[in-house]
Amino acid sequence: MTPLLSVLASVLAWVGTLLAVASVAVIGPARLREGWGGVRGRIWDARRGVAVLCAVLVVSAVGRSSLQVVSELFGLQATALIYALEGGFVAWVQATFATPALTAYLSWVYVYGYAFLLAFPVVAYLALPRTTTLRRVLVAYALNYGIGLALYTAVFAHGPRNVMPDMVTPLLFTNRPDVMALTSEVNVNTNVFPSLHTSLAVTVGTFAVLTRDEYPRWTPVAVWLSLSVVVATMYLGIHWLTDVVAGFALAFGSVALAYRTVDPRAEGVEPSGEPGDESPPSEPNASD
Amino acid sequence: MTRPISRRAALAGLGLAAASAGCLGRTENIAGRNPREQLTLEINATPADADPNGIRIARQLEEHLTAVGVDVRLNTVGQTDLWRKVLINQNFDLYVGQFVETEPFDPDALYGLTHSRFVAESGWQNPFGLTEMAVDDLLDRQRRATGRDRDDAVAALQETVCELQPFSVVAFPDALTAVQENRFDGWTADRQPLSVTGLLGLDPVAAGSGDGGAATNASTGGNETAADADADGAAGDAADSTGEALRLVTTDDRITENWNPIAAEYRKYGTFTGLLYDPLARADGDEVFPWLAADWERVDETTLDVSLRDARWHDGEPVTASDVAFTYEFLRDTSLGNVETPVPAPRFRGRSSLVEGARVRDDATVRLTVPDVNETVAARALRVPILPEHVWSERAHAATIAGFELDFETTEAVVSNNPDPVGSGPLRFAEATAGESVAFERNPDHFLVRSASEDDSDAVDEPADPRAGIPLRYHGKPAFDRLRIDVLPSDISAVETVAEGLADATVSNLGPESVPRIGRSADTRLVSGRSAAFYHVGYNVRRSPLSNPRFRAVIARLIDKAAVVDDAFDGYAQAATSPLAASPTEIPESVTWADGSDPIHPFFDDDGSLDVEAARAALRDIGYRFDDEGRLLSRGR
Repeated sequence: MTPLLSVLASVLAWVGTLLAVASVAVIGPARLREGWGGVRGRIWDARRGVAVLCAVLVVSAVGRSSLQVVSELFGLQATALIYALEGGFVAWVQATFATPALTAYLSWVYVYGYAFLLAFPVVAYLALPRTTTLRRVLVAYALNYGIGLALYTAVFAHGPRNVMPDMVTPLLFTNRPDVMALTSEVNVNTNVFPSLHTSLAVTVGTFAVLTRDEYPRWTPVAVWLSLSVVVATMYLGIHWLTDVVAGFALAFGSVALAYRTVDPRAEGVEPSGEPGDESPPSEPNASD
Repeated sequence: MTRPISRRAALAGLGLAAASAGCLGRTENIAGRNPREQLTLEINATPADADPNGIRIARQLEEHLTAVGVDVRLNTVGQTDLWRKVLINQNFDLYVGQFVETEPFDPDALYGLTHSRFVAESGWQNPFGLTEMAVDDLLDRQRRATGRDRDDAVAALQETVCELQPFSVVAFPDALTAVQENRFDGWTADRQPLSVTGLLGLDPVAAGSGDGGAATNASTGGNETAADADADGAAGDAADSTGEALRLVTTDDRITENWNPIAAEYRKYGTFTGLLYDPLARADGDEVFPWLAADWERVDETTLDVSLRDARWHDGEPVTASDVAFTYEFLRDTSLGNVETPVPAPRFRGRSSLVEGARVRDDATVRLTVPDVNETVAARALRVPILPEHVWSERAHAATIAGFELDFETTEAVVSNNPDPVGSGPLRFAEATAGESVAFERNPDHFLVRSASEDDSDAVDEPADPRAGIPLRYHGKPAFDRLRIDVLPSDISAVETVAEGLADATVSNLGPESVPRIGRSADTRLVSGRSAAFYHVGYNVRRSPLSNPRFRAVIARLIDKAAVVDDAFDGYAQAATSPLAASPTEIPESVTWADGSDPIHPFFDDDGSLDVEAARAALRDIGYRFDDEGRLLSRGR
């Protein structure tokens, strides 16, 4: 368990540092101080989103192993299909672009960059006076996980590094074997379709684009990081292109659904956040 | 008219053609013919995380089959699922896997693997569905014949099996393991490091390498002197006091959730269940020695009297002759007659089929009816795990799910995970977390750790020694108090864990990504032994076109065994033709791998790569056809 703890510690250290830097650089000290004010009220306001996300995460943590058995027995065995569909694309990516520097960068992105990418929007949108975006992000995360879990169960497939080890090197694990202790703790190697790394990263990227007026500095960072995560999933030999495409679809679907379900009117403008707030629709970029 | 028209165009024109009067009959004649389609074959293999070698064989075969125009589906499934698919459901085209015996085995192992009498059974008995009288005859002959006659029968058997290729032997892997040598040694003995005998043969480093070395030398030399016995006894006693745990790491999580020695889909070689359950006899190389049996005696042509050692089950019940008699009946029919058709055990079938009857003579003696077979084969009959009657007789009913009996033609005994296994072996079950780890502990009551002096201070004769007949290297063993197995995600992390000193040895297969890592750590060493668990490509002979031995022969020739050894095994394997290549048997020259080439089904070699044209020509020669895009055609199956 020692390797696991050391990896966890380094993830926390990286994410903590990056969050601190990004909070100052993106949100700014003034807004942070200002935002600290009604933070409890806003958390209360977003309680449903938090609850939904927590519920999905708990179900995923508790039920995953039994759903895994269901997937093994009754899931669609899709490895052959996916492999027949795209063949050696991932092998080509590795053969064409692999350099030690890129491997190091993308390994870093896959673990640390990704964790930061998911954590920062929660902080950033919590600092906004209105909780609409925060709630949407939380719901979108929950949808990603929930739908992802359902698809993991319905589809049983192994990733490229497991199917063509002669052509696809498991770069992440050959480079950083300690990371494997963490990834195997949070997932199993048959959960490849869709790529949740892709879908969550793209979800964050999409939100960053949609909220570029609030955080113009975050948008390029988020888009760059999320695209790096997308590339990393294939470059490191973990996911198929098919998983990534499905991840994009899941991301856009989740964002759209989150916008549809989370109503901007029901937000608490006041820090106290009265539950029965029926203020008229005033959100300019409500895209229902 | 002579120009070939694509099927789609033909169908499009069909309505028009049919409408035109006069040629309706002719149209029917054409439309009524089923078109030929491209041949589709599915290759099943386990993913690289589970086995880094097998998938590489599957990949090569997939590439070569694709090149000759077959539509290949390369399917990766977990280890349990692979064997469920192949052994239980027999729902496969091809698979890549390993044979179940890792120690060099007697040719009679082929009896269970290929005899047609098992064609309707599921499990490791004839999973290919081979039904060849020539093979059956030779299998029966090698059971009866002795000396030169048996050698001839075995030689002919190898030739026939290689000719027919119900499975293609690819290579015999080296049994590789990364070991941390500072706590246990004896890994290098000329046997499998991680077999039952290998694990029992380990010595604690703390006991002093001098004693261990002497004991090892003595046992390999075979001269068991009293002085050596004392030295070894001392080492054994020292092991008692060290209280060390042997920590192993594997990628195979099956042992953390299932301890059923007869569950074919959960066992790899059955090493750990082999430590939980004692057989009557064990083999180590050429040598067969009594284990749970104190001795056995051939009474006449068809009868064998087996006397038992004084032993107890892990729950305290005594091991009796009735348990032994029960075991043989049970392996033949796990339902004990409760279900209409017998449900034979999916493992040990070849061996248990040797024993036609078992009768209790007294508490410690059982009389086995073993029909007219030679000594070697008869001894094989004694190498099945003996099961406690009081546990397994409760599992003889038809298997049910939530109380409902479903028509799966199986018994509770076959599908049970066998929680809290009760065996009589040198290790007993301690605890497990499914998917993560399992721990076994030393059985303090086992005859290996009971010394003669305790029971009988006079030490009169052989019979007084509870370990009589057992080689000295196993006396006082195992050298560890606990055996803990942790499941890790891949061979790379397994090697890293050993390198960091968090484990003593790796159990599961190591691939070319992980082997080079072993040398990078000072205390870690690569230990290799020769494994008999050959990698093979198995064919479902029940299915066309795999039912055609000529077609299988062409597939066999698509396998570049030499390249597999280099690429998939990093050189840590030997290419082979005969499944007996690692056995202490004479291999006729006709089936001996020589000069980097297979004597019967040589690879279609074109300077290191596949000679596609030669392969296609071979397929054309045996009656197969290709369309103009080079796809291999077949009738719908």
